[in-house]
Amino acid sequence: MKIDKTKLSRRDFFKAGTIIVGGIAVSSTFIPFDGLLFAIERPKGKGKWYGIGIDINKCIGCGKCAKACKIENNVLDEPFYFRSWVEQYTIKMDGSILVESPNGGIDGFKQSVPDEEIFKSFFVPKMCNHCAKSPCVQVCPVGATFETPEGIVLVDETYCIGCRYCVQACPYGCRYIDPGKGTVDKCTLCIHRLDKGMQPACFEICPTEARIFGDLNDPKSKVNEFLKNHTCMVIKPHLNTDSKLFYNALSSEVR
Amino acid sequence: MPQQIKRLIVAFAFFILLFLVLRQVLKPSSFGDLGHYRADAIQENIDSELHYAGIDNCSKCHEDIHMDKAIGFHANLNCEVCHGPGMKHVLYAGNFTDRQLPDSLLLYKPVGRSDCAVCHQVNAARIKILFDTIDNSMIRQIDAMTHNPVNKRTNEKLNCIDCHNPHQP
Amino acid sequence: MEQHIQNLYEVLSQVEGFVYPNEIELNWSILIVLYPFITGLVAGAFILASLERIFKVRILKPTYGIALLTALSFMLVATMPLISHLGKPFRAYEIMITPHLSSAMAIFGFVYLWYLMVVLLLEIWFDYRRDMILWANESKGVKRFLYRALSLWTTDISPKAIALDNKIGYIVTVIGVPSAFLLHGYVGFIFGSIKANPWWSTVLMPIIFLFSAIVSGIALVMLIYIIVSKVRKVKLNMACLDMIAMYLFYILLIDFVLEGLDQIHRIYEAEESFEVLHKLVFGKLFFTLFIMQGLLGTIVPLITLGIFQFYKPKENIRKVIYLIVPVLILIGVFFMRWNVVIGGQLFSKSFYGYTSFKIGLIGPEGYLMAAFWLIVPLLILAFLLWLLPPWKKKDEQSEIQSA
Ligand code: HEC
Ligand code: HEC
Ligand code: HEC
Ligand code: HEC
Repeated sequence: MKIDKTKLSRRDFFKAGTIIVGGIAVSSTFIPFDGLLFAIERPKGKGKWYGIGIDINKCIGCGKCAKACKIENNVLDEPFYFRSWVEQYTIKMDGSILVESPNGGIDGFKQSVPDEEIFKSFFVPKMCNHCAKSPCVQVCPVGATFETPEGIVLVDETYCIGCRYCVQACPYGCRYIDPGKGTVDKCTLCIHRLDKGMQPACFEICPTEARIFGDLNDPKSKVNEFLKNHTCMVIKPHLNTDSKLFYNALSSEVR
Repeated sequence: MPQQIKRLIVAFAFFILLFLVLRQVLKPSSFGDLGHYRADAIQENIDSELHYAGIDNCSKCHEDIHMDKAIGFHANLNCEVCHGPGMKHVLYAGNFTDRQLPDSLLLYKPVGRSDCAVCHQVNAARIKILFDTIDNSMIRQIDAMTHNPVNKRTNEKLNCIDCHNPHQP
Repeated sequence: MEQHIQNLYEVLSQVEGFVYPNEIELNWSILIVLYPFITGLVAGAFILASLERIFKVRILKPTYGIALLTALSFMLVATMPLISHLGKPFRAYEIMITPHLSSAMAIFGFVYLWYLMVVLLLEIWFDYRRDMILWANESKGVKRFLYRALSLWTTDISPKAIALDNKIGYIVTVIGVPSAFLLHGYVGFIFGSIKANPWWSTVLMPIIFLFSAIVSGIALVMLIYIIVSKVRKVKLNMACLDMIAMYLFYILLIDFVLEGLDQIHRIYEAEESFEVLHKLVFGKLFFTLFIMQGLLGTIVPLITLGIFQFYKPKENIRKVIYLIVPVLILIGVFFMRWNVVIGGQLFSKSFYGYTSFKIGLIGPEGYLMAAFWLIVPLLILAFLLWLLPPWKKKDEQSEIQSA
C-alpha cells in the first residue's frame, strides 16, 4: 500500500517535472526570439541612412586618411589601434598574395616586391563598415554599442563594460580596446563632424576623392551616384552583415 | 503551505524584489528611448572636439594660396593633407594678423622630401587613372632617391619645394 | 599599460603574414579559457550527481554529495574570470539590468542565475535542509547560527516534510539536467555563434562544449572523491569508481567522435578559411591540440579506460590509474578550451596571417590570476565539505521507514 502510494506520487511528480521542463524549454525558445531574429530584417531609418563608397582605383595609398582619423579622434598613437587604415595588396606573378599595412599606412608605403614579380598591386582603405545588421551590435551584452537611426554604429563609452565580445564578432577587425579607458573604441563616421555639416575626417582629407559618402535614402546623393556608376562590392558578403561600405573595383583577394 | 516552501518563497521574493528595485535605480535615464541603448550617448559622441577644419575654412584667410592652388595640379588637395589639422589655427590665427603666430598655432610645413614622397614615390599600386583629366594622367610618380636629389652645379641637397611650388607644382 | 604596449610591440615583431592592425592584440586570453573550463566542470559535476538521483544509479551514491558541492563551489566563481577580465569590471552589473536579448553573453547572465539560484542551490538546500536542522541542534555558536540561517530558520523535519523535500529535490534535479545542458550549451553558443570566426562558428560547438564539459566534470568529481577519501582515510568504493570510469569512457568517446566529426566536416568542406586553419593547426596549435588535447587528454584516457571495460587489472593498479586518468582528462579539456579560445584568435580574420600570444605571470590577465580563480573554488569546496559533509548525512530513507 505504502510503496504503491510513493510510486504513484513519484510518477505524478515526474509528470509535473516533465511539464515544467517542457514549459521552460518552450518558453526559452520564445523569450529571446527577438534576439534570434537579429540579422533577418534590415533596420532602416526614415531620415538619413549613411553609406560609404570607396574607389580602390583612385586610392594612392598616402595613408593620410588613417593619420587624419587618428588625430581627429584622439586614437592612441601605437600601431595596434586603428579606426581607419590602408592595406597594400600585391598579387605576385606566382599567384601568392602579399598584404602589408605598416603602421596602418600612416607613414606611407614602400614597394617591397620588385616590379617584374608583380602581377598587380593596389591599395585598400579599410574602416568600419557600419553594417546594418552589425554582428558587433548583435553581441553587445549591455547595449553599449548600437546603431543610430542614421545607420551609424557607435559606442557608448560610459556604458561599455569592456568584455571584447564585439571585437571578436567584427569580421573586419575594426574594433579595439583602448587600454587606457578599458572600453572598446571604433569609427564613429566622425558623427561630431557630420553634425556640423562637415565630412568625416578621412573623407575630408582624401587627396583623390577616393572616398565618397552620403545618404543612401536620397536618390541624388553622391553615394547613390557612385553606386549607380560603378560595380560595387562589399567585403565578405557571405556573412550577411549588410555592410554599408561599398568598394569599387574590389578584387576577390581582399578580405 | 509547508513551512520550508513559505520561507523559500519569501527568500526568492526578497531577491527578485531587490533585483527589480536595483534595476529601476541603476538603469540610465535615457536608456531605451531610441533602441536598446542610452540615447544620450549619441549626443556625447557628437560632442567630441574637432581637429580638422576643412578646406573652406582655410580659403577665408589664405585666399591667395587658395587661388594659386586652385589652378594647379594640387587643386583637389585639401590644405590640411599637407599642413595637418588646423582647427585651432582657424579659430585663433585671426588674432595674430600683425604678430608672429605662437608655436601652438603654427602648422606643420611639409618641406622634406619624404613629405612629398608619401604620395609621389613610385609604387606599383599607385599607377592610377585619376579623375577625368584630359590626358588620362596617372598620379605622377618619381623616385625620391633619384629625382633631382642634389643641385648638379653646387652639389647642395635639394628639397622638392626648391623647384616645385607645393601649392602649384 | 606601458607593459601592455611593450608586449604588443613584441607580438608585432612575431606576426606572420598579415593581420588586421587591430588584431595584433589577442583580446580573450587565459581568463576566458578558464571561464568555459570552470562552467564545464559545474555542468559535468551536476550531471554526474543527477545520474544518481534521476536515473537511480545507486552505485554512484558516494559521489552524489561531493558532486553537488563541487558543482556549487565552481559555480560560485564561474563568472569571476569573465568579470575580472572586463575592461570595466565594476560595470558588470549592467549585464543584468539592461541585458541585450540578442547577445549570447547577456542571456548567459540569466542562464547562470537560473542554474545557480534555482537549480543548484535549491537542490542542495532541499537535500541538506534536514541535516542542517539536525546539525544546528548539535553544534554551538557561529556554526549553529550558520546552519540555522542556511536552513532559513525552518524547523519542520517531520517525515511528511522530508518526503516533500525529497520530491521537490527530485523535480529540481529533473529540471536541472536540461538546465545544465543549457548552461554549458550556452557557453558553446557564445563561441559557436560568432560567424566572423570560422574556427568557432560551427553548430556543433555547443554540443562539443557540452560533452567535453560532462567529461571534465566527471573527471573532476572522480579526482576529488579519491582525494577526499584519502584525506578522510576511508576506503575507496571501487565499484563506484569503476562505474564512473565507465561513464567517463563512453562520454569521452562521444566527445571524441563529435570533435572528430566537426574537424572532418571542416576538412571536407574546405571553405575559404581552410588554408589558414590548416596551417594554424599544424603550426601554432600543434602542441596544444595534438599533444595536450588529442594525445594526452583524449587518446591515452580513451585507451586506458577502454581496456578497463574488458579487462580489469588489480585494484591497486586501478586506483593509481583512476588518479592519473582524470588529471589527464582535465588537462585535455583545459587545452580544448585553450585551442578554441586562443586558437580562434591566433589567425587573422583576413585569413592572411597569424598573430602571436604572450601572457605574463602577473597582471590582471596573467597566469597568477588564472591560478587564483582555479584555487578559489577548491577552497570554497573545502569549506563546503567542512560545513556540509555529505558523509555525515543521516540516511533519510532508513529513518523514514523506521519512523
Ligand atoms: C582666421 C584666419 C586664418 C585662417 C582661417 C587660416 N589661417 Fe593660416 N594663417 C593665418 C595667419 C594670420 C597666419 C600668420 C601670418 C602669415 O604667415 O600669413 C597664418 C599662417 C599660416 C601658415 C604658415 C605658418 C608658418 O609657419 O609660417 C600656414 C601653413 C597656414 N596658415 C595654413 C592654414 C591652413 C591649412 C588653414 C586652413 C585649415 C589656415 N591656415 C586657415 C590666418 C588664418
Ligand atoms: C602639397 C602639400 C601642400 C598643400 C596641399 C598646401 N600646402 Fe601650404 N605649404 C606647403 C609647403 C611645402 C609649404 C612650405 C613652403 C615653404 O616653406 O617655402 C607651405 C607653406 C604654406 C604657407 C606659408 C606661407 C608661405 O607661402 O610660405 C601657407 C600660409 C600655406 N602653405 C597655406 C596653405 C593653404 C591655405 C593651403 C590650402 C589652400 C595649402 N597651404 C595647401 C605644402 C602644401
Ligand atoms: C596627399 C598627397 C600628395 C602630396 C603630399 C603631394 N602631392 Fe603632388 N600631387 C598629388 C596629386 C593627387 C596630384 C594630381 C595628379 C594629377 O592630377 O595628375 C599631384 C600632382 C603633382 C604634380 C604635377 C604632376 C604633373 O602632372 O605634372 C607635381 C609636380 C607634384 N604633385 C609635386 C608635389 C610636390 C613637390 C609635393 C611636396 C611638396 C607634393 N606633390 C605633395 C598628391 C600629392
Ligand atoms: C632640381 C629641381 C627639382 C627637384 C629638387 C624636384 N623636382 Fe620634380 N621635377 C622637376 C622638373 C624640372 C620636372 C619636370 C621634368 C620631368 O618630368 O622630369 C619635375 C617633375 C616632377 C613630377 C612630375 C613627373 C612626371 O612624370 O610628370 C613630379 C611628381 C615631381 N617632379 C615631384 C617631385 C618631388 C616629390 C620632389 C621631391 C622629392 C621633386 N619633384 C624634386 C624638378 C625638380
